[in-house]
Amino acid sequence: MNSLCPVLPFVPFIALMQSVVEFDNVGLRYGAGVETLTDLSFTLYPGSFHFLTGTSGAGKTSLLKLLYLAHRPSRGAIRMFGHDAITLPRNRLPGFRRRIGVVFQDFRLVPHLSAFDNIALPLRIAGVQEKDLRGPVAEMLAWIGLTERAEARPATLSGGEQQRVAIARAVIGRPEMLVADEPTGNVDPEMARRLLQLFAALNKLGTTVVVATHDIHLLQEIEGAQMMRLDKGRLSDPTGSLRHPPRPLVLDN
Amino acid sequence: MLLDFALPAHDRKLIPEGRLSGPMPWVIAIMLFLTLLVAAGGLTLAEAARQGGQDLARQVTVQIIESDPAQRAAQRAAVTRTLRKLDSIAEVKPVPDAQVRALLEPWLGTGVMDADVPVPALVDVRFASEPTGETLTRLQSTLRSVAPDIRVDSHSSWMAPFFELMRALLWLAAAVFLLLLVATSAVVILAVRSTLNTHRETIEIMHLMGGTDVQAARLFQRRVALDALLGGIVGFIVAAVVIIAVGGRFAAVEAGLLSGAHFPNHGWAILALIPLAVMALAMLMARMTVISALKRML
Repeated sequence: MNSLCPVLPFVPFIALMQSVVEFDNVGLRYGAGVETLTDLSFTLYPGSFHFLTGTSGAGKTSLLKLLYLAHRPSRGAIRMFGHDAITLPRNRLPGFRRRIGVVFQDFRLVPHLSAFDNIALPLRIAGVQEKDLRGPVAEMLAWIGLTERAEARPATLSGGEQQRVAIARAVIGRPEMLVADEPTGNVDPEMARRLLQLFAALNKLGTTVVVATHDIHLLQEIEGAQMMRLDKGRLSDPTGSLRHPPRPLVLDN
Repeated sequence: MLLDFALPAHDRKLIPEGRLSGPMPWVIAIMLFLTLLVAAGGLTLAEAARQGGQDLARQVTVQIIESDPAQRAAQRAAVTRTLRKLDSIAEVKPVPDAQVRALLEPWLGTGVMDADVPVPALVDVRFASEPTGETLTRLQSTLRSVAPDIRVDSHSSWMAPFFELMRALLWLAAAVFLLLLVATSAVVILAVRSTLNTHRETIEIMHLMGGTDVQAARLFQRRVALDALLGGIVGFIVAAVVIIAVGGRFAAVEAGLLSGAHFPNHGWAILALIPLAVMALAMLMARMTVISALKRML
């Protein structure tokens, strides 16, 4: 609980803030199979930082897919940015997706685009003018140490370099929520630390961050980070911060 | 929709464009070549029917059926004089006996004497405007006062089956034209679906980053429009060469029924519009195909 101490005084304030994400008894089933995710209820607030852990097959990627609106749940209710995400018309999804940055586990870079173009993609989709995006993309390339490889295609980049490009692409638009699936899996410890610093910097600017990882030691790298643990599709709440509605931690103390 | 053709250079890179390296422009070129030939054929037929119909509707032939050659000649002269006095008639042309015999030669053979088979005298008449049935009846009774054994044959009546055939061919050309457009649309749909499958991953990534269906559709529209444009240019050039070459042969034909059959000048403007229409159709089909396929994605 020590890692949560810094946030405790703010909990009553947090309870009044509009949530970024609210899950209420959410279940997800693929086809006619068993439920991959069961009875998930939690709330994520602006500026919170969460690590999502669990064994392989626990449902981490499925939960992230719900968070970045790649799937709709089989049951339950989801509110995102103050709107009901279940009944959200399909034509309004792009507007919501632009508020979410995603780092995919398998990077999902566009193979025939250069590193520069891959990083610039979310900005171009959002309609940012070419003259306005060159600076931020170059800055991002410098941050991930790939300025020299700006014109390289993904196939010519190493796994770690591809991952850095994927992360840069996810954060370039300063999303309100960042969802990352094993973002430090392929990079060396130093680069992992730098990438987490990037996430933390974004988080300080108000971005809600959810990072799926096997490495629970990462929790110590981010001050105030909370842990969500998935076990066979059910969410346990080791830090007690995910209750729906959130547990009034101040009163408990 | 056509404005979607102008995409920024970086957006074009999302779906690589193969120019003439892929099969699509060539398939469109072939389809368009056939479409243009059918259209050119239809336009030529329509022009021939229009011109021939106009001419034939105003033409009649007066037959003087008199067995005595001397009387026949006298009656022909009288009929010609009477006809030339009428205001409604633009041209009167007595057909020379030699020409009449030449017309009958395939059936009667050469050297047939007038005494053996009396051959009627003919006078070709062209009215200033299309005559009504009543006008023809009145003409017949007027001429019978100078030549009792005459018959007035309206060309339009005996040519009616031919023009019905031409109209049927025109409908056939229109049907083939439409079928070719349907086939071209089907080719575009198949090509777009195939491209969509090839680039599904890119489209999904775009979607998850907030790309709209219309943004994705634009990429395909542009690609298909380029293919259709390149195919259209190739198809049009080849079709134009064929039309000019065949048109030259037609112009050399002097046969009566085919003498009016030439490709009209305004036809080129219509043919030039067809590749543009096919391009617009291809873009529309691409847009509809992509948007309908993307609706199955969340």
